Amino acid sequence: MQRYPSALIFRVMKPSNPAQSKRGLRTRFAACGIALLLAFVVCWSAVPAQAAPPTFTVGWSVYAGWNPYFYMAKSGILKRWADKYGVVIKVQRFDYAASLDAFVAKNIDACTMTNMEALDMPAAAGVDSTVVLVGDYSNGNDAVLARNNLTLAQLPSKPILLVQKTVSEYLLERAMVLNGLESQLPRLKLLNTSDSDIVGAFLGDKSNQVAVTWKPLVSNIVDQDKGVKSLFDSSHIPEEILDLLVVRTDVLKRPDGSGLKFAKAIAGAWYETVAQIAAANAAAISGSAAASSDSVASYKEQLRTTFLYSSPQAAAQFTQSGELKQKMDLVRQFCFHHGLLGQNVQSVDDVAILYPDGAIQGKKDRVRLRVDATYMQLAAQGKL
Amino acid sequence: MAQAFRVSDLTGIQVRPARLWTHSLSWILFVTGIALYAHFSIVRHQENPEDRVIPSATQLVQGLKSSVLEPAEEDDPLDPGATLLEQVRHSMIWKDTASSAGRFFIALLLLIPAMLLGMHMAVFPYAGAFFLRFVLFFDKIVALSLLPILFIVFGIGEWSKIMLMFIGVAPTLMLDTYNIAGGVPREQSVKAFTLKSTNLDVAYRVVLKQVLPQLINSLRLNLKPLALFLFAGEMIASTDGLAYRIAIMRRHMGMDIIIPYLLWVALLLFMLDALLRITNRRLHPWYQPL
Repeated sequence: MQRYPSALIFRVMKPSNPAQSKRGLRTRFAACGIALLLAFVVCWSAVPAQAAPPTFTVGWSVYAGWNPYFYMAKSGILKRWADKYGVVIKVQRFDYAASLDAFVAKNIDACTMTNMEALDMPAAAGVDSTVVLVGDYSNGNDAVLARNNLTLAQLPSKPILLVQKTVSEYLLERAMVLNGLESQLPRLKLLNTSDSDIVGAFLGDKSNQVAVTWKPLVSNIVDQDKGVKSLFDSSHIPEEILDLLVVRTDVLKRPDGSGLKFAKAIAGAWYETVAQIAAANAAAISGSAAASSDSVASYKEQLRTTFLYSSPQAAAQFTQSGELKQKMDLVRQFCFHHGLLGQNVQSVDDVAILYPDGAIQGKKDRVRLRVDATYMQLAAQGKL
Repeated sequence: MAQAFRVSDLTGIQVRPARLWTHSLSWILFVTGIALYAHFSIVRHQENPEDRVIPSATQLVQGLKSSVLEPAEEDDPLDPGATLLEQVRHSMIWKDTASSAGRFFIALLLLIPAMLLGMHMAVFPYAGAFFLRFVLFFDKIVALSLLPILFIVFGIGEWSKIMLMFIGVAPTLMLDTYNIAGGVPREQSVKAFTLKSTNLDVAYRVVLKQVLPQLINSLRLNLKPLALFLFAGEMIASTDGLAYRIAIMRRHMGMDIIIPYLLWVALLLFMLDALLRITNRRLHPWYQPL
């Protein structure tokens, strides 16, 4: 054997009984696997389960009235209020449609949305929701733009670029109705265009003559094309396009009371932030502008056409007024006529709204959207 | 001569499963999927009877009926006395299918010259030298990012969506055709030339004829990206079409219409694929892939 050292090596390497060593290999693998598994289990259970404070997630998307949530979280205002009430509040940014999806799927506890979506998405899908904060209304942020000096009466034959089934379509309908053109509504030709492409499509092709969209896209279009004029904007329909913070009712009504604490904390943080923005605090404005990567000038331009309810008294007063009921009625009729409340909903009263004074718009047993002025009232009285 | 079944057969290669198993085993995954869906749907509906995120069977049937029998909401309602055929003819799904299918088939027709160009690139060296590098580069451009440019050049109408589909899929098909046609041995064309054939004869009667089954298979595989680009274009800017309807329904969680639409699109693509496969087999029975 010494003459052939390679044979020695081979002899050492060659197993004596192939079947036996294959089984040996297998058992070795099995043993390793079980050992690893045990190690994982031990490590996992070794972490002590601490009593975690209740955590809530607020989803927001880019819009003038909702950017402050980003600043609120970044500046620590939100953390201070959350600690005061012993809860943990997280804010998470989404695309608008994605935030509504997450809210309906119960992945987030609260979401910023307009009153129209508050009816369409959660309320109509059976997720009982409560409006906790009325932040602002669009006072010119949404506009109907047209080229070549078109008038509203000339709209029916032209293709109109807009995001269908959103406040843009609502704005267009209200524009036609308020100008006596209700009969022309069925003759409108709507071209559903995603908001990310509407600016490029409208500016790039001059044969697209009408678009309905919101700021800052409106500002982009008007700045880049002098021939485009605004035919109608949301300042003609004040208080109809409201921007709200909506919380799931079952979260608010949690038996351990943590939902109430969450609502108070977020209301307190919101009014502190909004007071800073209304006072044109530079850090607040630039922090909010940064939320949408806007310049400060562009954000201020958007704020100019947003009526912020900066004082809780104004917000509480509006929420408890009859005006809100009137405007919500207009919105719910629109939603019903366009099938937004659900394919099989037979009447507009099937998705009912409960107001702070106990009045119900719709069937009493079908309340899906609640308006709660308590937290705004508490903020107005300084009791937060 | 059926042998006794042993558990180690499941991982074996030299096995012949009984007919019963070859036909029924694949259904297990379908049944599992449907069972999981039903489970989640029931759980959600117990919490919230009106849930629309995971529709129940009744909601799905209702959604199917309304898409097949009711006209699209932008259209005028039908007379109540319309026959079943008229109802289907004016229904939402018919309108959307017709417009989407129109765009799809126009793009498909435009892809045929693209594939012929790929074949020419392989057979004619100057054509290859001219086009190959550019097609290789263009293939790597993600077509969706060109969409804003397409809207500017072609408007928001049909052509921008058709060109999106073309730009997305044509380079892949051209390169695939180039590789397949390039695999034909050179000796065959030399031999054809000795038999007094012209250049075009070699290209079409020697090369194209024998690679055509592979080209049809390549086209079958690219039906999915074609449909994907169609959907992308329709979701972004459209007045009608299958993906347009899905995008609109999504705004108010109309999953009871979206899911039937998805299944319908899957069925259409499956039928088109089957049609191409059977045509291929009929036209080229000699083609037995290894």
